[in-house]
Amino acid sequence: MTTFAEKEGMTRRQFFKGTGILFVSAVFMGVFSKIGFDAYAASDEYIAKRAAGLYSLDESMTLRKSHLNPEIAQIYKDFLSPGEVKPLTAKSERLLHTRYGNEIPALIEELKNPNATAENEAA
Amino acid sequence: MNSIISDGVIHVSDRCKACDHCTSVCPTGAIHGHLGQKHTIKVAKCINCGQCLINCPFGAIEDQTMVTAVKSALNDPQKFVVVQEAPAVRVALGEEFGKEPGFNAKGKMYAALRKLGFDKVYDTEFTADLTIMEEGTELIHRVFKAVGQEGFEESGPLPQFTSCCPAWIKYAEDNYPKILPNLSSAKSPQQMFGAVAKTYVAEKLGVKPADIFSVSVMPCTAKKYESSRPEMIASGYPDVDAVITTRELAQMIKDAGIDFVNLPEEEADKLVGTSTGAATIFGVTGGVMEAALRTAYEILSGQSLTNVDFKPVRGLKPVREATVEIPIQALGGKVLPVKVAIVTGTKHVAPVIEDILAGRSKYHFIEVMNCPGGCINGGGQPIRRDIYTEGGLL
Repeated sequence: MTTFAEKEGMTRRQFFKGTGILFVSAVFMGVFSKIGFDAYAASDEYIAKRAAGLYSLDESMTLRKSHLNPEIAQIYKDFLSPGEVKPLTAKSERLLHTRYGNEIPALIEELKNPNATAENEAA
Repeated sequence: MNSIISDGVIHVSDRCKACDHCTSVCPTGAIHGHLGQKHTIKVAKCINCGQCLINCPFGAIEDQTMVTAVKSALNDPQKFVVVQEAPAVRVALGEEFGKEPGFNAKGKMYAALRKLGFDKVYDTEFTADLTIMEEGTELIHRVFKAVGQEGFEESGPLPQFTSCCPAWIKYAEDNYPKILPNLSSAKSPQQMFGAVAKTYVAEKLGVKPADIFSVSVMPCTAKKYESSRPEMIASGYPDVDAVITTRELAQMIKDAGIDFVNLPEEEADKLVGTSTGAATIFGVTGGVMEAALRTAYEILSGQSLTNVDFKPVRGLKPVREATVEIPIQALGGKVLPVKVAIVTGTKHVAPVIEDILAGRSKYHFIEVMNCPGGCINGGGQPIRRDIYTEGGLL
């Protein structure tokens, strides 16, 4: 008697079709992931190269610590903190520091009327 | 009020193809427009970083330029024109003349600037070193306050954030006013240089501050905004008169017909032109942190640091952290584990701030740079169109 049960296993044609689909999709996936990967890598690569450029410049320099810069010592001794190297003096606070957000209008007032602030500090 | 503050630095031109790529790059969601509709930038939200500009596949986004002002100052015999250049400029400028990214163009850059007619060619790196002195000392004071040392009650809270990145500053001001006391009060190297040029340099060279025109070459579009901020007048004049980007400098060099690649190497002028390797790495994410650690370690421990490379703070990951054990001389050699974090990409900074505001943060010092990778990938740097063409996407 003929049964209508599904045939077990796989025919030769079905096998070819299946491997064909798998092969083609694998190739496509590979190509797309390759393009995607390349674009991402390229965008990172130039950043890494510029970074490497800065690090090798750093290594090539005789002085590599900020406080050893002779001109830094000079600007403190001659100008910011006469006679010594001392950060955060009144002069460096005024020239080299700032304030943020809603403290800015008051800062602008102080910078425009330096005498008024000096009097306040004296009082 | 000048137009940069009221209109912003970055604008979308009519060439916009409405591809929507910029909205995915923008760290603050300042760009509006539907697919197929010309996009616009909300000035109030924009932090002027220019990441959209360097990433636009159609070159449709532009920044306001100050090149005309620079050129007329150079042609004005009355003006004494001084120039400073940020660290990141020297490793990217060569790309505009066919060199590889990372090519060291420092000596040629100084030479080209002299040929363009600048009276003094100094270096932002000098004030990067100065930033470390001021900001580093400020950090030490905040740490002393936190451990209960007497005499430091006036110091600010921990953690301390770096304040060199103007895009990050505007982001914090716009979105997290409560975190502002944690920002270092130190100005950025660009603005420190401006203030120093019209006071110390003017005094030493015998030039009237009013005659000095101070130019800076930056890898950054937000620096244009920073120089225009109304409070940047500590010298009694606008501290920095004009900012041009790496791209604009390259264009000026080309316009002047200078053969850049064959220029002999020159040095920066003395007085405020000498710098250290610590200042050079300010241009890369983690660099400000590493420079600060080198100096803070030596000052706090009283010992000389033999290995200056703090490798754990390096890399391109958006958020990195490290612990550096520093023996504190003032506390009898007690070892303090200094916890630091580095954030690159403003998109990643919000969780870090939320932790601080909730009292969960364990850090002492946090560096934030808006652009992925740091200033070397800033909005004023040469645009790498090869990202879109060599990979074969377009």
